Amino acid sequence: MTNGPLIVQSDKTLLLEVDHDQAEACRRAIAPFAELERAPEHVHTYRLTPLGLWNARAAGHDAEQVVDVLLEYSRYPVPHALLVDVADTMSRYGRLQLIQDPVHGLVLHSLDPAVLAEVIRSRRTAGLLGTQLDDTDVIVHPSERGHLKQVLLKLGWPAEDLAGYVDGEAHAIALEQDGWHLRPYQQQAVDGFWHGGSGVVVLPCGAGKTIVGAASMARSSTTTLILVTNTVSARQWRDELVKRTTLTEDEIGEYSGARKEIRPVTIATYQVLTTRRKGVYTHLELLDARDWGLVVYDEVHLLPAPIFRMTADLQARRRLGLTATLVREDGREDEVFSLIGPKRFDAPWKDIEAQGYIAPADCVEVRLTLPDAERMAYATAEPEDKYRLAATARGKNKVVEHLVAQHTDDQVLVIGQYLDQLHELAEHLDADLITGETRVSERQRLFDAFRNGEIHKLVVSKVANFSIDLPEASVAIQVSGSFGSRQEEAQRLGRIMRPKSDGKTAHFYTVVARDTVDQDFAAHRQRFLAEQGYAYTIVDAEDLLADRGELERD
Amino acid sequence: MATFTGYLRARSDDELVALLRLRPDLAAPSPSTLSSLAVRATSRSSLDRALASVDAGVLQVLEAVVALDESGQVSAAQVVRAVAGHDDAASVAAVEASLRSAQERALVFPEDTAPDAALHPSPGLPEALGPYPAGLAPVDHHRAVHPPTDPDVVRALLDDAPAGARQVLDALTWGPPVGLSPSPGSPSATAVTWLLRHGLLVPGDNRHVLLPRAVALTLRGGRTHRRPATAPPLPSDAVVRPEALVAAESAAAGERAARLVARLTRSWEQSPPPVLRAGGLGVRELKRTASLLELDEGEAAFVVELAGAAGFVADDGEEVPSFVPTVAVDDWWGQDVAERWAALARTWLTSPRAAWLVGTRDERSALRAALDPELVRAWAPRLRATVLGTLADAGRGVVLTAPQVLEVLRWRTPRSVPPTSAVEAVLLEAGRLGVLGAGALSDAGRALVAGDDAAAALAAALPAAVDEVLLQGDLTGIVPGRPSAALEDLLDRTARVESRGGAVTVRFTADSVRAALDAGATADALLAELASHARGPVPQPLDYLVRDAARRHGRLRAGAAASYLRADDPALLAGLVDDPRFADLGLVALAPTVLVAQGSTRELVEALREAGLAPVAEGPDGQVLHLTPEVRRVGRRGAAAARRRAADAAAVVGPQEALPADRLQALVPRLRRADEDRSAPAPTPVTPGRQAKATTAGTADPAGALVLLREAAAERAPVWVELVGPQGLTEKRLLRPVLVEGGRVRAVDPAREAELTIAVHRIASVTREEESP
Repeated sequence: MTNGPLIVQSDKTLLLEVDHDQAEACRRAIAPFAELERAPEHVHTYRLTPLGLWNARAAGHDAEQVVDVLLEYSRYPVPHALLVDVADTMSRYGRLQLIQDPVHGLVLHSLDPAVLAEVIRSRRTAGLLGTQLDDTDVIVHPSERGHLKQVLLKLGWPAEDLAGYVDGEAHAIALEQDGWHLRPYQQQAVDGFWHGGSGVVVLPCGAGKTIVGAASMARSSTTTLILVTNTVSARQWRDELVKRTTLTEDEIGEYSGARKEIRPVTIATYQVLTTRRKGVYTHLELLDARDWGLVVYDEVHLLPAPIFRMTADLQARRRLGLTATLVREDGREDEVFSLIGPKRFDAPWKDIEAQGYIAPADCVEVRLTLPDAERMAYATAEPEDKYRLAATARGKNKVVEHLVAQHTDDQVLVIGQYLDQLHELAEHLDADLITGETRVSERQRLFDAFRNGEIHKLVVSKVANFSIDLPEASVAIQVSGSFGSRQEEAQRLGRIMRPKSDGKTAHFYTVVARDTVDQDFAAHRQRFLAEQGYAYTIVDAEDLLADRGELERD
Repeated sequence: MATFTGYLRARSDDELVALLRLRPDLAAPSPSTLSSLAVRATSRSSLDRALASVDAGVLQVLEAVVALDESGQVSAAQVVRAVAGHDDAASVAAVEASLRSAQERALVFPEDTAPDAALHPSPGLPEALGPYPAGLAPVDHHRAVHPPTDPDVVRALLDDAPAGARQVLDALTWGPPVGLSPSPGSPSATAVTWLLRHGLLVPGDNRHVLLPRAVALTLRGGRTHRRPATAPPLPSDAVVRPEALVAAESAAAGERAARLVARLTRSWEQSPPPVLRAGGLGVRELKRTASLLELDEGEAAFVVELAGAAGFVADDGEEVPSFVPTVAVDDWWGQDVAERWAALARTWLTSPRAAWLVGTRDERSALRAALDPELVRAWAPRLRATVLGTLADAGRGVVLTAPQVLEVLRWRTPRSVPPTSAVEAVLLEAGRLGVLGAGALSDAGRALVAGDDAAAALAAALPAAVDEVLLQGDLTGIVPGRPSAALEDLLDRTARVESRGGAVTVRFTADSVRAALDAGATADALLAELASHARGPVPQPLDYLVRDAARRHGRLRAGAAASYLRADDPALLAGLVDDPRFADLGLVALAPTVLVAQGSTRELVEALREAGLAPVAEGPDGQVLHLTPEVRRVGRRGAAAARRRAADAAAVVGPQEALPADRLQALVPRLRRADEDRSAPAPTPVTPGRQAKATTAGTADPAGALVLLREAAAERAPVWVELVGPQGLTEKRLLRPVLVEGGRVRAVDPAREAELTIAVHRIASVTREEESP
C-alpha cells in the first residue's frame, strides 16, 4: 500500500487529494483519460468513462499506461474488476478503422473479423455499409462516414477515422504577433488539434479560444467556415481575425440573417443554417459553396441538433470544436465525440487562472427573504409561473442597487432573463439596457462604450451569455436565469473572467429569493461553480442591507 | 475364507477409530456390536456414501479388486500391477497408497495378515460399483461356453478372424463391454457371428452382445485401467494475484457484506415485508429490497438469505406474518466489523440454504422465493467446504474458475461431482462475502475454512480506520479511507453516501440534514460534531445549509385530533376549553378561533347540545350537516355474504329433495342390517374403555365418532372421549365439543376448565355421557 494522492473507487470515480505532494504529478498523469467531474477545495473527483478512455486512446495512450498510472498513484489497492474494465473498454477503440482504399475508396477495416461481423449484422448499420470485400473490410458509402461513426460509437466499437481529409482550397493566412504572443497552452491546443486531425479544444471562457481558432486557421492556411452562435459574436470573430491575422476585412464574409456573403473565410450563425422554409433548410448550400479546408465550431456544447446532422456530411473536412465545457444539458456528448472528434486539449480553469491568464473570481449568493405578500402570491401561483414570480421579486432591485453602489469603481454587468424586470432595473439603476430587441448597431455602440469605460454599468438579457467580449467587466450580478442551467452559469462567469489590467478579483453575485424554486435552481448552478473550484459564500440580503438601514418590508 | 466381520474384529482400536472417522455415518447412531457395525458398513447406503467421498485413485483400486476378485484370488501386488502397470515407480506408490486408503475405509479386506494375502471387496461393494466395474462385463459362471483366456489362443484366433472382428473387439475392450448386435446381413454381422461362435463375445439379451471379462482383460494386457488416475496438476493458466490485492478486496467485500446485512435489518425493523403464503419473500418485496440496498436482485437475494440463515430475520408468526429482525441481531450490531463478518461467514459456510436458486423455477415452474423454507440443500455446506478446500490447496493468491475447480473435484470425488452451476454459485457467493478477494482465497477465508479466528484475520486486512472527513464547499465530504465507527454513524445520520471504495464520498443535502434534525439533533450540535471530525473549518455553504435547514425545520406542526370546533367568537371558545363538562372531549385550543377534540364529531356535538349550546356539524366543504341519529347498515358486500351464508346453511340442514321412495325402501333394511351386525357382542373380551358401543350413544367407528361429536357440539352436550396420548396410552375425559372442523375437534374440558384442540385421529372412541360407565 503506497501513500499516493489518488483513491480509486469501485464506481470508477477517482478522488485526488489536492494537498498531497504528488497531487500535481498525479493530475497530469490522469488528465488524459479521466474526466474532471468536480474540483472543490480539498479533493477533486475524476471519472473514468468510456468516452474519456476512448479520448485517451485517440490521443495515443494505451490501457497499460492507464493501469500503470492508477497503480502508481493509488493509495489503496485498485479494485481488480475496474482494471479489467479499463483494459476492456480501451481495447474496443480502434479495432475498427475508417481508411481510404486506393481501389475501393472509403473502407471500414477491422483488425478483428468477429467485430466486423457483429457490426455488419447489427440492424443499426443497415444501409450504411456496402459490399463486404473480405473478412476484415467492407465498403462504406462516403456520404455515410459521419453517420456510421455515430452508429459505431453507440454499438460500443468506436472507429478510428484514418481516412484523412480533403486539403481544401488553399488560402494564405498567418498570425500577426505584434505586441502579443500565442500563450503556451494555446500553442499546445493548436498542436494537439492539428496532430489529431479533428477534435475539440476545451478552454475556459476568457482563455482565448478565438485565438486558438485563428492559429489553427493559420496552420491550415485554407478557406475556412466558422460557425458561431449569433451575429454579435460573428462580428467579434471578424474583428479579432482582422486584428490577429493577415486577413483583411474583404477576405472575411458574414453569412447571417442580415448579410449573405461567401468569402474565403466565412462566418455563419447557427441560426441562419438552421432556418427552414417549408421544411427545407434553405442555406445548406453554404456548406458546399466552397471547398472548405477547415470548419470551426464555436461553443460546440450549444451546437443544435440539425447542425449535427449537417456535420455528419462534412466528415472529409477538418473540424475544430471550441468550448468551455463538454457538458451538454441535452447529453449529446457522444455525438460531439463521433462527429466533431475526440477531445484534443483540455486545461482546468484553476490552472489557467493560476497562470494569470484569467481573473480569479469571488462568488456570492445573496438570499432575499420575500415579503409576506409576495410569499403568499408565490405560494398560490400555478407551478409554471412560480419561477418567474420568484426570479422577478421586487426586493431584488434594492439588493442590486446596493451591490452596484458597492462597486462604483468597477465595470458592472447586471444579467437577467425577464425583460420586464430588466427594464425596471435599468430604470432603477439609471443604466443602459441591451436585450434581443436592441438593434445590432446600438448593441455594438453600447458594448464599445462599456469597453472604453464611458459607461460603467450595463443591464443585459441572455443575449450577452455567449461570445461577447467585454474584457473590462469585473462584476456580474445575476438576477434571474434559465432555470438551473450549469452551462449558462459558466458563460456568465466567463463574462467577468478576462484578466484585468490591475489584476483585480472579479465578483460574481447571484440574487435569489429564499425558499423558492429560484433558490433550488441557484443551488444547482452553484454546485457547478463549487465543482469548478470557485468557493462561494451565501449571504442574507438582510445582513447585506442592514448596515445601511435599507431593509424595509412592504 | 475370512469374513468381513472377522476382519473388523481383528482390527485394533486405533484402526477402528480411523474407520469411524473416515466413514462418519458408521458412528452415528453408535452401533451396539461389531457385528452390527459390519452390517452397517456393508449396507448399500453406507457404501454409497463411502464411495462418494473417495478419490479417483481409490475408486480405480476398488474396481480392480472387484474385477479381479471374481476371476479368482487377487493379491495386492496383482491389483497394483493391474492398475499401475509395471514400470512407473511413482504410479505404483500412488496405487499402493490408494489401496491402503481403501483398506482403512474397510472397502476391501485381506484374507489374512500375510503380505500376499488375497484381497476381497467388502460385501455389497460389487453391487454398489455397478454391473461393469472398470468397464468389464460380469462373470457368468453358469454359462456353458467358456471363453478362451490364454492370450496366445486369443491372438491365434484373431489371426484367423474375418475382417471387422478386430474392430468390434477394439470398440468394446475398454468398456462399456456391451455392444448392439448388428442386424443380420450387415457387414459386421459376419464378424460378430464369428466372434460369438469362438466365444470371444457372448450373447447378452436378444439385442446385445457382451465382451466376456476374461477376454477383455486379455485384450487389455492384464490391466484393469489404461493408466492410474493421478491428482490433476494446478492449471498452468491459473491466475495468481498479489496478496495485498487479495487481502484488500476481501476486506472491502467483507465489510460491504456486513454493512448490507446491517442495512437490511435496519430497514426491515421499520417496514417489515410480508411473508408469502408459501413462506418466502415476494418478488416485489425482493425488488424493493434490492433498490433499497442498491444491488441487483441476485445479490439482494444473497443478502436476504444470509440474514435469514444467521437468524437475524424471521417470520414473526403474526396473523398477517412479516419478516422481522430477531433479538439476535441486536447482539450482532454491537460487535465490531470483523466479528460481524466472521459471524456471517461462519453462518454461510455451514448453512444448507441455496441462495443462488432464488429467482429460478422449480419443477412445477413456480418461482423460487428468497427465504422460502424449501430452499434447503443438505449438501450445500459440504459443497462450500469442498470448493474452498480446493482453493486453499491450490496455493496463496491462486484464482480458480468454476471449470478448474470441477476438474479437481472430478478427481477428488468422482462419484459425487457437483453441478457446474452450484460451484459457480459458491464462488460468486464467496466473492460477495469476501471469503475470496479478487477471486483467490483470502487469509480471512483460509482461517474460516480451517476453523481459526477468522475475525482476527479480517481485522488484519481491513485498512486503518480514518476519523477525519474533508468537508468541501460543494457540500460534499470525503473520508479518505475507511471511516471509524463514530464517523460512519455521524455521516449516516447527516449525509447521503455517493460513492464507496477505498474512500467514502458523501453529499449533504437539505433532505439529509433534515433527517438528522428529525432524529433530534440541533444545528449547533450537528455543526460542532462535524467540525470535530473535519480537517479545517466547516465550509460556509455547509454551515449555511445546516442553519437554513434548522430554520425551516418544524415550521409546520402536525398532530392527531378526531374533530374540531370553530367559531368566529374567541370568547365563546375560550370558555369551553376549561369547562369541566367537556373534560372527556380533550379540547385543546390551536388558535383563538379553533379548538380540536379527541372525541368524534358526534360526541362533540351531542355534548355541546346537552350543555345547552347550539352547534352544527359541517362537512369537509364547510356545508352544514344535519346529524340525524345514527342508523347502522351492513354494506352491499356484507349483505351478499350474509345471503350466501344463509343459502349454505339451508343446503346443509334445509329440506333436500328426497330420494325416490323405492330407493328409500331398499336403503332402510340395509342400514338396519349393518346396525345389527355391529351390535352383536364382540367375540373377544376387550377393555371396557375401548369397547365399541354399537348404539348411537357411543362408537369407536371414526365416522360415527365424528357424527357423535358434531351432534354433541350442536347440543352443547358433554361426551366421554377416549384419547390416545403421545405415548400411545389412552385416557378417557369428559369433554364438551365446541367445533368439529378440518380434522380437529375443539372442546372444553369442564373438569379442568380448559379448552383443548384434538386431532381427530387421536380419538379412539366417543361415548355419550349418560351411557358411560
